[in-house]
Amino acid sequence: MDRALARRLDARFEGVLHGPAKQRHDQTEVRIGAGDVQQVLTALHDEPELNFTMLADLAGVDTGTEMQVVYHLWSSSTSDWLRVIVEGLSRDDPRIPSVTYLWPGAEWMERETYDMFGITFEGNRDLRRIYMPPDYTSFPLRKDFYLPDDAARSPGAGVRHVERTHSPVDAAPGVLRRTGA
Amino acid sequence: MATQTPPRPAKPAGAATPEGTHRSEDDPNVLLQDDYAFYEPIPPYPPRTEREAEFYTLGDGEMFLNMGPQHPSTHGVLRVVLKLDGERVVDIDPVLGYLHRGVEKLVENADYHQTISQVDPLEYISSLFCEWAPVTAYEKLLDVEVPRRAEYIRVLSGELNRIASHALFLGWFALDLGGLTPILWSFIERDEIVEMLAALTGQRMLFNYFRIGGVNGDLNHEFMSRLGDWMSRAVGQLEAGMGLLNENEIFVRRASGLGIVDSETALRFCMTGANLRATGVPFDVRRAHPYSIYPEIEFDIPTRTEGDSLARYLVRMEEVKQSLRIIDQCLEQMPDGPIMAKLPRLLRPRPGRAWAAVEGPRGMYGAYAISDGTDQPFRLKIHDPSFIHLQAVGALLPGNLLADTMAIMASLDPIMGGVDK
Repeated sequence: MDRALARRLDARFEGVLHGPAKQRHDQTEVRIGAGDVQQVLTALHDEPELNFTMLADLAGVDTGTEMQVVYHLWSSSTSDWLRVIVEGLSRDDPRIPSVTYLWPGAEWMERETYDMFGITFEGNRDLRRIYMPPDYTSFPLRKDFYLPDDAARSPGAGVRHVERTHSPVDAAPGVLRRTGA
Repeated sequence: MATQTPPRPAKPAGAATPEGTHRSEDDPNVLLQDDYAFYEPIPPYPPRTEREAEFYTLGDGEMFLNMGPQHPSTHGVLRVVLKLDGERVVDIDPVLGYLHRGVEKLVENADYHQTISQVDPLEYISSLFCEWAPVTAYEKLLDVEVPRRAEYIRVLSGELNRIASHALFLGWFALDLGGLTPILWSFIERDEIVEMLAALTGQRMLFNYFRIGGVNGDLNHEFMSRLGDWMSRAVGQLEAGMGLLNENEIFVRRASGLGIVDSETALRFCMTGANLRATGVPFDVRRAHPYSIYPEIEFDIPTRTEGDSLARYLVRMEEVKQSLRIIDQCLEQMPDGPIMAKLPRLLRPRPGRAWAAVEGPRGMYGAYAISDGTDQPFRLKIHDPSFIHLQAVGALLPGNLLADTMAIMASLDPIMGGVDK
């Protein structure tokens, strides 16, 4: 855990971060809004005392109430992984600026996130579906996309209580519900 | 690469569409052209993005060529649309998804232990690393400390798996450059390792061996005797296999200067592993961000500065030697003790988020796990190096000859099971 990094981030991005940086194990976590993505990530990448040159991962998250995009960064200046959580994207029309101008390698990761969650990355020159067929209309990793063979709604439901934990309250049995495109 | 038109479904009655088009079965709002053959390079709909419009516009004297998805040298089921100017590749558009299983969704709908068998087939020739990343992430969520013996066994089996994977890389790479012998040689070594891992784990390929908090079984007699037997002649055997290529002038001249990438570009393309180290960046997760017992073990990080296919090949072969060193030290320092931490059967980590990365044979495997306090992961994102490296092919390829397409792709060593998840 690199306490100095948390202090540096809190000082450098004062007023931009949603709350102070959190730390656990070997990870430092900061939360920002969608409007500050370019400003924060460009600073993290370019400023020599931060020097986060490596984008380790880009992930989408559907919390059930909002969308998030999560970046994991690596720098030689710290022993921690840095996690930047962009929170508060609306589930109806999630939009976020692309980071392909910093890391062209983020292009496919953003395409994957778009394909799975429907998050639009503004500025990505090639935002098409990458895994699913081009005329597919749903976003499979959203929380309101249920698997058609979900064990929670199978005739065997109730046999193993552990499988019922995620079963939605209002789910009709055996119906695959899709979100709008 | 010949195309054949599958029988077209009859038009549904009452759905009027413009002449020469029919509605998509998946999305009735999309109109497809009737005379569209399934594997034609040009998609049957207008371009949706700027990049697609640019790619599917032919310049003077250019043509499209469709490679795959059943092409023998695409290392899995991958379709690549090539834009050619004579024999030169102008641009490529890889089409993915033929092996997509939706692992991340399946993992969300099963409990924590079941993740391990789901992520196994991702990179099916280095499965232990696919298990290692999510297992480590879950251990961080649970704040559990893994017994030292279990960590040593993980490193020991992981390094064996790395050698098996690099042995296959050697064979495939030579095969894609037109040499048939090395793959026969490398399969001897690979088979020996796979058999000894089968003695340890019970499976030849999809090991399902790591557990949250330890490993599934302790070292046994058959594994140890096979390992001792193999270690005594491994160096000689592997050197013979490498000598077949390293001292082959045709191979060296063919591979050097092919698909050059510099360190700045490699970092911007998020490349990791041997492909990044071949450009001169000494980034290895085992040293850059130590996990498990790697801080206690001595090994070097081989790097080269050329950044071409030959450098990537040589870095991997050096890594094999370092792996043998690590195995030696593991066997020497292997402590006694339990191989599993004490954990309840049904895991319910406190709500939280954890990221874990491990250094696999192809680069950095990562897992980002979110717990919501129930017995199923709320989200598991799997970061796969093959996916990233396949993307970089698009940057390395333009300007090279058509025959070099697969050679460059093989030198980056992507596995389609991992690319498509």
